Parts: sequence; C-alpha cells; structure tokens
Amino acid sequence: MDLAHLVGIGRTKAGEHWNRGLVDLAVEAGGAALDEAAVSPTAIVVGNALGSVLGDQRNLAVYIAARLGYRQAETHTVESDEASGGAALRMALALLNAGFHEAVLVIGAEKPTDTFPDGVEAGRANGLDVLREAGFGFGVSVAAALAMTNYINTYGVDRSSFYHISAHAHRHAALNDLSFMSWALSEEQYAKSPLVADPFKVCDGAPPCDGAAAAVVTLKRPETDQTVRVIGSAGISIEPGIWRPVLELKLPAAQQSASRALDQAGLTTKAISLFELHDSSTIMGALSLEAIGLADKGQALKLAEGDALSLKGAHPAWTFGGHKARGHTLGASGMYQIVEAALQLRGDAGQNQVADARTALVQSLGSFGSTAFTHVLSR
Amino acid sequence: MDIARLWRQQPSNIRLLGSRCRSCGVLTFPERVRCAECCSSELQAYQFKGDGELLVATTVYEAPRGFVDQVPYVAGLVRLVEGPIVAAMITDIEPDKVAVGMRVEMVTRRICSSGADDPIVYGYKFRPVAHHD
Repeated sequence: MDLAHLVGIGRTKAGEHWNRGLVDLAVEAGGAALDEAAVSPTAIVVGNALGSVLGDQRNLAVYIAARLGYRQAETHTVESDEASGGAALRMALALLNAGFHEAVLVIGAEKPTDTFPDGVEAGRANGLDVLREAGFGFGVSVAAALAMTNYINTYGVDRSSFYHISAHAHRHAALNDLSFMSWALSEEQYAKSPLVADPFKVCDGAPPCDGAAAAVVTLKRPETDQTVRVIGSAGISIEPGIWRPVLELKLPAAQQSASRALDQAGLTTKAISLFELHDSSTIMGALSLEAIGLADKGQALKLAEGDALSLKGAHPAWTFGGHKARGHTLGASGMYQIVEAALQLRGDAGQNQVADARTALVQSLGSFGSTAFTHVLSR
Repeated sequence: MDIARLWRQQPSNIRLLGSRCRSCGVLTFPERVRCAECCSSELQAYQFKGDGELLVATTVYEAPRGFVDQVPYVAGLVRLVEGPIVAAMITDIEPDKVAVGMRVEMVTRRICSSGADDPIVYGYKFRPVAHHD
C-alpha cells in the first residue's frame, strides 16, 4: 500500500552554519523541496528536538510557514527527541491518509552549534529521564559508554573494534559534499581521539550539528516517473530508561517498529536495498544493526569491518555517512535519512549511489532507543 | 533548579523513597501515582534501604552542563537489593578502583552545580560499602 509519494526533497549542508538561524535553515531546505514539487502543500509539519531547550523559537512551524510565503496553512511542530524527524514524517502520513490534506511539507531542522557543547549535551540529556538520569549527571554519551562497556564484557570484543562503525560512516561521508565530516577516519585518529566517558571516545559519537532536510509528500501518484513511495511506516515507544539497552544490549522499539513497517510493506530485511539507521554513536549503530537482524548478537562490529555495509556490499548502510559522519542534526536527522534514501531510489545519489537501489529502510530513534520510527521506501 | 521542583523531588532524591503497589506488590523508584504493572492507583510510599550492587560503570570526562565541575566522575547503574535499577554517580572511590559487582550504599551528596542565586541540589550517590565501616 502506498502511504505517500515523495514528490520534492531538499536539504542544507550538515555542519556549522554561523550565519543561519534555525528558521532560516528550515526555510532553505523546505523551499528547495517546494521548488521541486509540482503541488502546493496545505500543511507543514516540522520535526525539531532542541529548539525549545536551547532557547530558539517555539511553535516553530508557524514561523517557518510564514517565511516560506504561506498566508495560511495547518502547522504542527513535532518533538520526539532525536526521533523528531521520523515522527514528523509519520505525522504527515497521518494527515494525508486521514484525508485532511492532499500534500504536506515535512521539515526536520536543528541548530545546536550556537550553544557550547556542555549545553548541547545537557539539552540532549533531557531526552533521557530527567528525574532519574539527566538530573544525576547522565547524558547520551554516558549512556553510550555504559552500553559499550557491557557490550565489550558480554561479547568479548576488542574496545578498538568500534572503530569499524565510525570508519565505515566516514568512507561514505567522504563522497558526500553536504556532510559535516567528509573525510576518511584513520585507525590512529580514532584511537587518539579524547575520552568522553570511558570507553566512549569523541570519534564514537555522532557530532551534533546544524542542518535541515525536507520533503513534500502527497497521497496522489504524481504524473512524472520520478516518484519515491512510502510503503511502510511504524512508530513505537517502550518503557524508557537507559538500563535496557545498557544491560540487555537490545533495542526492542527499533526491532518492533522495523518489523511492523516491513510487514506493512510486505517485505523482509533481505529485500531491502539500503539501510539508514540511527548511528548517534558507534554502539547505537551496532545495536541497531542487530535489532533489525542484519547482524547476530555481538557480531555488528565484525559486519562493519567487512564490505557488507559498503555501497557495493550486500547490505549498504549509512550511504551518505550516517549521523556519525554526515553529521547528527538531532531532530532533523530523521529527515536527512529520508532525503538520502529518496536520492538513492531516484538514482540521484551521485558518488554515493547504490546500484539499482529499489527499497530502503529508514529508522530514527529517540531517548536512547525508547522511541522508534521506521519507514520503508520504494521507487 | 526551581525551588518548588526541588522540594517535590526531595523524598526520592534525599531519602530514596519509592512506591509499593498494594495490589500487585511491585516496587518502583521513584514514587508513582499509578502502578505500571497492574494499573492500580492504590500505591503506598516505600522506603528503599539504599543497599545495592554496581552493575556497570563508566568514568565521565566530558559532562553535561551542571556536572562539569565534578569531572572525572563515575556514573553507573546500581541494582537495589529490593530490585529496582538506579542510575547514579559512584563516589568516595578512585575511578580506577571501581569494580562491577561491588556492593554499594546510598549517601546524600551535592548533585549538581547551579547559578549563584539557585538552591544547592542535594541527592543520592552511592559509595562502596567497604569504605563505610
């Protein structure tokens, strides 16, 4: 079943945009998506995680709509932590499939670099349990460090083998002009990067950065051949808490939402041409690969070390560099994934093209894996 | 930190007060108004003893704002003897001496720094039991 067609896409470079504010970035990406689409959306959904926390605009979508030239529109601003981009797309699909609108503009936007890194880390930490975790000195890097520690102890993997997840992402980002970290990452650079929380190094984390990505979605099939269909969508939240991924090394929300979205699409993981998963850190990337069944438990790092995840591999993943190296635009990252998957399916991915890409699985996670949105796209 | 919020959180943060469900007996930390297991709203306050076991830990070098003055600090997950898992800093021990499986007990400490006009935030941390006797 076609849940929607992606008829226009746009994105800014992911990085440090000193001369652009949050609304400007969203307008740049949203405007590009509108320019590509032959229809005029009557609703705008904006995904953003930290705008309120970092002191930017609230009710963001209203201001973006006005700056895009709308005199009126239905607007929604969606916040689901780092899964906000995926949540925004799902909200747009709901508006379309309820029959409320014929075309919706979805934008993910984030602007963390005005704030010093400890402030961004605190803002991100508030996506964890404020009463039990963030309020006691636990941020997403701390959670990732605990999960890495348990992963190393449980599976007996070498600490240095997390390098393969980062190195893989950087190889693809090096081909992508719009990525934040468009260079190859050497084993030495990785090993020498400073500790954030032992054993989590700077190079284990996806760097928070600015950016916006957008798509126009319609229910009606467009006249042109150049359409990308959304054929599966699922959103699931489970009982929050860092303890489950840390102690059980599982992401049940990621697993279940992928399974539901694939069922709806009538596909299995084997039939998917490429994967855009939530690699907010090397350990989240590894646990995501295991959650959707691309790797057995404890085998994800080995999978990343080989060719399987490369553009020419059996399961191409993070084809434009993922959050790790394209840059982690937090609440916008879910929409970057969608735009990148759409480029692949249109055959417009340039040097990052996966040959004959037919289907893509895109997954966006929030609150350290407690919230998951998965979409399956097809050409 | 707002004073009203701090005041409300004191029973859990200072005394490790949680809830026991009168209907199904499940223990939760911190306090709840509705049992997530059986949906009963018949909950009573439950005082945790503060003894537990360290399950996993890390030494933090780059902290979120509010915790920067405490680095390096040890953050870990503690399983209370009554069952619930608590995320907390581990204190009164050098980071390289911290061992998984260590028996720990709750102590009250300053938790985070705030502005000059803000109240000082106190709450639980855990320390090795051996340091106590």
